[in-house]
Amino acid sequence: MNVTLWGVRGSIPCPGPTTVRYGGNTLCLEFRYGPSNRLVIVDAGSGIRPLGVELMKTDFPHGPIDAKILFSHTHWDHIMGFPFFTPIFIPTTKLGIYGPVTFEEDTLESVIGGQLQYRYFPVTMAELSAQMTYHRLQETVLNFEDDLVVKTKYLNHPITCLGYRFEHEGKVIVTLFDHEPFRNLFATEVDHPDHDPEIFEEGEKAAREENARIDAFMAGADVVLHDAQYTQKEYLKGRKGWGHSSMEWAINAAARSGVKKLVLIHHDPERTDDQLDELQNTYQRAIQARSAPGRPVLEFVFAREGMVL
Amino acid sequence: MKGEQLRRALEGYIDKMPPLPTSVGKVLEICQKPNAQPNDLNKVISLDPVLLARVMKLINSAYYGLTQEVTSLVRAIIMLGLNTVKNLALSTAVLGSLNTAHTKNAVLNLDGFWLHSLCVGVMAKHLAKMRNIPQQDQETYFFCGLLHDIGKVPLNNRAPEDYLQALTASADQRISLVQAEASTLEFTHTDAGALIIDAWKLSDDIKDVVSYHHSPLDYQGPYRDLVFTVLVADYFANIMEIGFSGNRFPTPPSAEVYRTLGLQWMQVEALETQVRQEIERAKVFLKLS
Repeated sequence: MNVTLWGVRGSIPCPGPTTVRYGGNTLCLEFRYGPSNRLVIVDAGSGIRPLGVELMKTDFPHGPIDAKILFSHTHWDHIMGFPFFTPIFIPTTKLGIYGPVTFEEDTLESVIGGQLQYRYFPVTMAELSAQMTYHRLQETVLNFEDDLVVKTKYLNHPITCLGYRFEHEGKVIVTLFDHEPFRNLFATEVDHPDHDPEIFEEGEKAAREENARIDAFMAGADVVLHDAQYTQKEYLKGRKGWGHSSMEWAINAAARSGVKKLVLIHHDPERTDDQLDELQNTYQRAIQARSAPGRPVLEFVFAREGMVL
Repeated sequence: MKGEQLRRALEGYIDKMPPLPTSVGKVLEICQKPNAQPNDLNKVISLDPVLLARVMKLINSAYYGLTQEVTSLVRAIIMLGLNTVKNLALSTAVLGSLNTAHTKNAVLNLDGFWLHSLCVGVMAKHLAKMRNIPQQDQETYFFCGLLHDIGKVPLNNRAPEDYLQALTASADQRISLVQAEASTLEFTHTDAGALIIDAWKLSDDIKDVVSYHHSPLDYQGPYRDLVFTVLVADYFANIMEIGFSGNRFPTPPSAEVYRTLGLQWMQVEALETQVRQEIERAKVFLKLS
């Protein structure tokens, strides 16, 4: 089981001289497993375009492309590459498309395919020739071919969003994006007219328990790819409720959940390569300084385009 | 309509049942604000039995497939997010604001009904608190009190002429409304309530309260404390005439009810000021006079 990162950026693609090393494409992961090197893709940000080009070179000459795409959610930065994924225009391609839909009337197909209409794109959904099936996901356990088990978990984001836990032959890889720690939305000041001690307590308990469920979801994983768009300082400065985690939160959560390797992903579009290098050094030192002697040190790295895990 | 025919008519109505007109305006006001506050959302949903039941139904429905049951709205807002719950509330509230035809012939004043439901919910919660029921369960007492008469909403909205017969019979014969419903309609608001609870897949404790709050001594299930507490609170609201649910001749709770709860009527009465204050706060929030 291995993972190649094709897009690691959040919000919007940001090519340019300051993002050359870590990459400017939005989220897309290529996940391979099993004896026949099966393909599962997580999210179709702009990174899925180069992945599609690569698949046409490496996989297509050996037979039709048969893959699954799992969407964490349907925000634009996670679906925008879909119309540019070449295999969707090949009649022999088989794609199983999975993802959650926020409570509304529209189906997963129309939410993702909504960008394929003439006003946005020269090809409509009806013109795609690949064989595609759509599956709306909830919190569940999926059993894919060749003994891959995929567990899903609702995350905290402004729309319905799922984390994925891949389990195969004893190895575990978890994706947690886009995700903000659950917090007590009822934490008003004691002298505020809306303050209600019972509701406050209920909110504290709910947030604590939901965060513990996320910890349990990533517990013991070999690799966790965790949303870390902000530093804690940035998060506290007006970004609460935007649906993203701080690097500090992700590192602490991974450490307490016994994760072996943490990959911080969904970089802010404003984050430069030099800043990411510096942050890597800063947190690396902090983790080492705080590690108990004799205990394994949490391995952590900022995601880069092209990185293989 | 009566009996089976009435049941079928109500079944068709339940899925599009709107929230009470009392809270619709406030729901729209809060949910349409881009910066809706979690506290306001929690409060406005908690104050409307139809809205609360519908939101809880959706949260625990197959749509989300949650592995654990969510029984508190506070938790639902934290888990599913403000936007999701706001949309749920808004889509339900819109039903109520667009479709007012159903209530124009209503025989029960829905503001009065709302006040009665709220009073029973608040009293049930205070009784639970006084009797040291664990804090996390006190909301269930409120929720069950608020919903205990939910079956009257479809009767009133969908079959107002038939329901008027029951209300008239209750007044003329000086019998409780549930008895009058049984004799004139062969179908009671507890039957209608159970239909709703089944259709909306709400939990068994609520169903038992809705079904047995007029026949407590027939009840053999595990939620006896809850059922009995709500019926005492219901009697309080009727006797004190806080709101109006159509029941002018309520049956007093039997001695066994008080004995089981370890409660005396005096203790119930002693909570009156607190209960009235809490109701006033809710009215101010909804901007009612």
